[in-house]
This record gives sequence, C-alpha cells and structure tokens, in this order.
Amino acid sequence: MSKEMNLCEFVLETAKIAGADDCRVAFSKNRFVEVQYRQHKPETVKEAATLGVDIDIYVNGRYSSQSTADVRTEALQAFIANAVETTKLLEEDAYRSLPDPSYYRGRAAIDLQLFDAGYEKITPELRHSMAKELEAACLDAGGDKAISVTSQVYDEFQEEKILTTNGFAGETQSTVCFAFAEMTAQDEGDRRPNGYHYAVDRSLKKLPDCREIGKKAAARTMELMGGKKLPTETLPVIIENRVAANVLNGFVSAMSGNALQQKRSFLLDKKGAHVGSDLFTLIDDPHIIGGLGSRLYDGDGFATKKRTMIENGVLQEYFIDWYRSRKLGVQPTTGGTSNLILPPGKRSVQEIMRDLGRGILINGFIGGNSNSNTGDFSIGITGTLFENGELTQAVAEMNIADNHLEFWKKLADLANDSWTYSSWRMPSLVFMDVVVSGV
Amino acid sequence: MRSMSRRSFLNTSVAVGSAAAISRIIPGAWVQSARAATLGFFESEFGMSDELCKKALDKALSKGGDFADIYFEHTISNWVSLEDGKVDRAYGSVDLGVGIRTVKGEQTGYGFTQELTEESILAAAATAATIADGAPTAAAKSFLRLETENYYPLETLFSDISLAAKLPLVKSVNEKCFSLSNLIIKVNATMHDQQKRIMIVTSDGSKAQDLIPRSYLSASVVAEKDGRQERAGWNFGGRQEFSYFNAAVIDRLAEEVVRRAVILFEAEQPPAGEMPVVLGPGVTGILLHEAIGHGMEADFNRKGISTYSTMIGKKVAEPFVNIIDEGITPRQLGSVNVDDEGVPGQATMLVENGILTSYLHDRISAKHYGVKPTGNGRRQSYQHYPIPRMRNTYMLAGKSTPEEVIKSVKKGIYVEDISNGQVKIGEGDFAFYVSQGKMIEEGALTRPVKDINIMGNGPKMLQNVTMVANDLKLHEGGTGACGKDGQSMPVSFGLPTCLVKSMTVGGVQKQGA
Repeated sequence: MSKEMNLCEFVLETAKIAGADDCRVAFSKNRFVEVQYRQHKPETVKEAATLGVDIDIYVNGRYSSQSTADVRTEALQAFIANAVETTKLLEEDAYRSLPDPSYYRGRAAIDLQLFDAGYEKITPELRHSMAKELEAACLDAGGDKAISVTSQVYDEFQEEKILTTNGFAGETQSTVCFAFAEMTAQDEGDRRPNGYHYAVDRSLKKLPDCREIGKKAAARTMELMGGKKLPTETLPVIIENRVAANVLNGFVSAMSGNALQQKRSFLLDKKGAHVGSDLFTLIDDPHIIGGLGSRLYDGDGFATKKRTMIENGVLQEYFIDWYRSRKLGVQPTTGGTSNLILPPGKRSVQEIMRDLGRGILINGFIGGNSNSNTGDFSIGITGTLFENGELTQAVAEMNIADNHLEFWKKLADLANDSWTYSSWRMPSLVFMDVVVSGV
Repeated sequence: MRSMSRRSFLNTSVAVGSAAAISRIIPGAWVQSARAATLGFFESEFGMSDELCKKALDKALSKGGDFADIYFEHTISNWVSLEDGKVDRAYGSVDLGVGIRTVKGEQTGYGFTQELTEESILAAAATAATIADGAPTAAAKSFLRLETENYYPLETLFSDISLAAKLPLVKSVNEKCFSLSNLIIKVNATMHDQQKRIMIVTSDGSKAQDLIPRSYLSASVVAEKDGRQERAGWNFGGRQEFSYFNAAVIDRLAEEVVRRAVILFEAEQPPAGEMPVVLGPGVTGILLHEAIGHGMEADFNRKGISTYSTMIGKKVAEPFVNIIDEGITPRQLGSVNVDDEGVPGQATMLVENGILTSYLHDRISAKHYGVKPTGNGRRQSYQHYPIPRMRNTYMLAGKSTPEEVIKSVKKGIYVEDISNGQVKIGEGDFAFYVSQGKMIEEGALTRPVKDINIMGNGPKMLQNVTMVANDLKLHEGGTGACGKDGQSMPVSFGLPTCLVKSMTVGGVQKQGA
C-alpha cells in the first residue's frame, strides 16, 4: 500500500477513535510549472508542489467538512479530534450520511488515460522554447498592430486518493498541459482589443503546434478590430463553440439537485417536458478517453456512466447527488457534469452563415448572469455581423437577453465543430429570432 | 489553471451556494498558535528568524535580480450554514505557507512551499532565483519593522470564538426572515469568519506584519407567490469583529433580503436599447470598479494593454467627478494596513476634478513609471505573486440631491443592486448585472425591473456622468470578490447617486415595441 493510502487509513482510524461514526478522506497532491513570456523574455516563472487532506466527519447524525495541509501525525490527530468535537455542536441532519455502498459498485474497467507518463520528461528548456514559439508566432501574425503579446505554458500533475469508512476506495492520477497566447492590438482611438487562443490536453504531445496557437491568437484579436455597437435588432445568432458553454451554464445550473431541493430552479417539475427544440440533446459522458472531465467515480464515489440528460428537447434527468436525493426523496443520478456533450451537426459555421444570410456570429461574452429561479438571463456579447453569408462588421458593447425556457426552443442548428479543449464539448450553436440590443 | 482570458470579473453574490465546495472547520492544533500576539507570530510559532529570512533572500538573489521578498501566511477560515431550518453544516480550513519572489526588471520568479522548514524555504527561493541569470546580489543585513496604522483591530480573535456562539446568529436570521413575510419558503444563512496573519520580509530591509480579519453574515431567501418563485440575497460584513454581528445587524439583514425578494414578483426585464441610467448609492460602485478601476491597474498600462494607457493628466470627466481607490477606511473589506509587498495602506486618487491622476501601482509598475508604489500590490495567498489590485473604490459625493438626479430623467433605468460585472481592459467595454432596479418615467421611479445586463465603455461612460449627488455610501458587505489572473481578492466599492446619460440596457424587446 502506498504512503498516501496509509495516511488515508490513518485518518479513518483516528476519526473513529475520536468518536466519528463515519468518515471520508481525500488526499490530494499537485505539482505545477507555469512559464509566461513577454517581449522575448520570461515574464514570470512559477513552480511549486502542494498537498492537502479533506476530511468529512459524520457523528451523531451531524456533519462537517474540513481541510488541512499539515499531515504530521500529531497535528492530524489533534486536528481530527477537534473536528469531531466541533461537529457535535451542530444540529442534526437526518439526510446526511455516506452514500449507500451499492452505488460504488460497477465501476467501469477502462483506462481513461488521464495521466501521461511523458509528463515526467517535460524539461524547463522545452517549456521555455514552447512559450517563445507561441509568442513569436503571435507577434509575427500580429505585425505592426500588436501592442503586447503574452504567451503561457502550464503543466500540472495531480494525484488523489479517497477512502471512506463504508468501503469506498478511489485513486486517480492525472496530467494537464496548457498552451496559451494573447495579443492586444491598436484599434481606432483608445480601443485596444485583446484576443486569445489556447489548447489544453492530458498530454503535451497531443497539443497542436505552438506556432498555430500563436498565429490563431493574433487572428482572434484582429477579428475584434473596429468593434461597433449596432442598432437593436431581432436576428439569428451563431454562438461560437468555445464560448457556447457560457450560455448553457445558466441552464445546467438549474438541473442540479441543490437548485431543485432549495426551490431555485426554473426546471422544477419539468422532467419529461419539452425544454428546447428537437435539436437540444445533452449527454453527460464520463468515459471519453483522455477527456478533461472524464472520471470513473463521481464526487460521491458513485460508479459513473453515460447519461442522456436531455433528448430531442425533452428533459430526461437531473444532476442529483446522494445528499439531495435523500432530501428530495428521489433516486440519485450524479452530482455534477463530467464531459458534457451537445452532439454536433453536419455543417461548418461558414455553410450555416451562407444559409442564414444575415446575423451575428458571437465570439465572446461579457458580464451577464442568469436567474436560476425564473430562467431569465442577460449577457453582453462581442462578435461579427455577417451579411450575405460573409463576415462584414465587428460588433461590441451589445447584449442578448431571453429566458432559458424560450431560448433553447430557438436552437435551430448546430455546427460540426465541437470544442474539445474543455470538459463541456460544445459545437457552435444557431439560435433564431434573438433580440440583440445596442443603440 | 488560470482563467483562459485575462478579463477581470467581480462577483458580490452571497456565498451560501458555493460555501460547501470550498470550506472546512477549525483544527485544534492551530487554535493554540492563533492566540499568539499579532507581532512576532511567525518567529515565535514557527521559528522564522531574521537569519533564515536573510539566507532565503540571498538565495533568491543568488543569480542576480533587483529585489526579492518573502511572504509568510497563516489563515484560518470557517463557515457555518443553515438550510431548511437547521444549522447542520460547518466547514473549515487552515492554510499555511510561504512564497518567495525574485524580481528582475519586469520579470518575476516565484516559488512557494507549505512546509516552514529551512530546506523547503531555500528550495522555493532557488526556484524564484531562476528568473535571473547573472551575478548574485545581496539582501539587506537586517530588517526594520514597518509601523502601520490599524484599520481593523480585533478585540477577540475569531479563533477564540466557539462555533456554539455563531449558531444563534444564523438561527436568528432564519427566524427573522420567515417572520417578515409569509411568501418566504426557503432561507439559507451563513456566518463566515477568517483571520489571516501575514509577514513580509523584503531584500531592501523591511519587515511588515498584519492580522487581517474578514467576516460576513449572509442570507438568501426564496419567496413564492402564485406558483412562481423569486430569490434574493444580501450580506453584511467586511473586516468586522465578531461583536459587530448583533441583533440590529441581523434585523437589517433579514429586512434587506426579504424586501429584495418580495418586490421581484412585480419586476420585469425592461425594454432594450440605449437610455439614461441612474445609479443609486452603495453597492452600485461596481460600475466604477469595472469602468475605470481595472483599467487603471498599472500592470495593464505599463504593458500598453489598457484603454487608459495614454490618458494620465488628461480630462476624462466633468470637473465634479472625483474617483478614489483607498485601503484606509476602517472595517471596509478592501482596506489594508499594509499591502502584500510591504507598502503601507494609503489612498490614491484615480480621477481628481475630472482629470485622470494616477494608476494603481505595485512595486514593479512604480519602478517602471518612476513613482512611489501606491499600496495596491496584493495577492490571494502565499501561492501567488502580488499584482496591482483595487481596494475600496468609489466616487466622492457631489452637490446635487438624489431627488434632483432622478427628476432629471424622462425615461431610463434606476439601478439599486448589482450582482456582478466584468470588463475588457483593452477596449474599455464593461458590463454589470442589475438584479434590482426600477424604471424611471417622467422623472419618477415606477415599475421594478430585474435581470438586466447593462453595457458601457469606460472612458465614454466617464464623460457621460452628468450629475453626482451628495449621498455617497460605501457598501457594507463581506463577500465582494474581484477576480484577475486567477487570483481572487476582497474589495469594496461605493457610489453617490449619479446619472450616466447613456448606456446600453440589455433588455428583452425593442424600446417602444
């Protein structure tokens, strides 16, 4: 047994001795390096390792959770004893318990490939040369418009061990590598648009060429040049893949057991109802190889499985964890999203634009929020107006507002461009008849 | 991982919903040590001597560099929450660590460790040193203690207050909310307290220490009427002591939150388009945080990426517009006795009589511009290097009355409560989300409105401030958190009633439709 697992065992035993009825312990370790370049020099170099222990205590029907980074034996003993005593001061919560262990069973026997062994071989020289390449490519492509370019390379190793007193054991090792470039350009007057591009993967080898990322960052900045506020108008919008999750988030947050049980959800009693157009299908798939949200067990320790949350516009499931399932008196599903998939369509954004003729291609959001009780949302946008299928004018300082229960019924098409640099894999989404407010 | 984009954002929402994800309980081992006096804490509790600091700073400068500093931190945080009538969950965490920074020109090397041992500290210093590649420079031989004001003295440490003493507070909030309206169906209440001890030792020979409290009592309620639900949240707090949370504060909290929820049944999303916007006093100061505050952070300006990069000394607003960022108002959430790189708390005018006067500096940008640091070098924790950040940002009072300001508008929006905002530094375009407001029609406040994103452009908005009232109010909250480059900082804001003659209101239908 590893040193970390021994530590987890020690925590469970100590908690029991201190009077806890049940206990869950999660030990995590993390190591990261971040290198940032500007003006052909490292602007920042940062590196460190961290560790932490999270402990959930269940005693006399009472519950608390605590964390510490001090894992010396004596310190941990005192820490746990105090935690158990403090927990006893709280009021009883009849719904609080470790999950029914039957939900732990049936864990998929697949290698999700969340850890890339090549991580160990990343050298400081490689990180610096990547950051230099990102910066140089962006500066090249930006030409005399570029005021400032910053590039960043970040990689991280994470390790987690979890044990509970009712038989759960989980271990995960994972790596993440991230390459990023951003550019600020001189526009008319005092406007200095900032655009960016990035890629992220479990494995450094699978990242695209840094020169491509750098070049794309410059191109994304140039798209914002000359951004203007247009008159308020109702028209089709295409929400680009990499920002589409911003709007979906307001919808998904209302699908949580917490929102439902606390009566903060516009999706209350909507299971089986039409909440969007036939094209609105949402799948939670925890088993994508190398996926950024992939996992074999969820936050409760439940064995994960693929779930269709929304099918052809009909709400099938909520995200309900163990605790909320007990409070609601329903079966649990899973407490939150893993890889959230909106299945892509068949056509490119360009083809769709040609078909629509005129509309706004939204490439960024600013501010905004969503009311989880009513579904009303309002959010600022940046993007480009297209006319006769061609991009014609950058737009800025405009806004869209709607209600989620109406908005997703306007979903008219999905492009073929699923964004894979996120655990929410969204293609570009087309909505008809959206009020875009401006002048 | 840091945020994908550098855009800065702000969220003042009540933290009830997120507390479960972050938080934990007091561990006994540290409760003892937290009782030690403010000064000398890291020396007496962890043996962090001047000799060790000198050794670590020398290591950090072993490959050259202009400057190095060590940042020690010990933070205890607690949350206790009520849901469905019971105070049945508590969270706590203890954080302890030390970060070491080496600065060479505008370049930064940074390492940190959670182990307060000589070996680990020297290893972190060696990491920081890699930013330079020249001959060693030497740190000062001794460190002079920095004397500062205390804008948030603590009579009793939070670590000396038992969980049992906090329970009745959250219980009372629950009872009071239910007693105020029979429309209320759910109440969540949370008491949060944090005490952070820091020590900053710099290679130029100074040593600063601080004990920084942060606390709030928050409530969030759901009301139901005719099958429809609405929610509102509010909180009181700041750098307050435990004794601040008395019966009067509980009453005010319950009244605020219930009033805000119940009025929403009459509220609608307003028509869309450009129109005059009147901002009521207080939390609406988020407008300035986004519209000018971030753009004045000097890192964005020395890199030329802020829309304000070339505007110092220029007229940006009417002469009656004065905007300040300061860390010296007692108990305000953004106040700092000393910033996180050892510069004493102070006040900085951003706009004086309509003229743009100063950026918000950390040590790096101050050197770049040849000015003194302004005490804005802040960091989330020992895991982060400091960058220029706001403190308490607000507009000074003007001469009009609030009534005159509202009366001057034929048709527009009156903003009472803003939940969050964001800015694009380079364009200066910003947005803020109005959770509560009213329509203004023929100079009078009429129908309530809600859930509106309002957009503007910083420099344009400043020019469009045409009236400022005499009713400046600072926000009295403890949850205001500003995000930048992946670091979250407590901040505060304020505003007198003022009129912006035109902004884009993100409503649902065309004006007049």
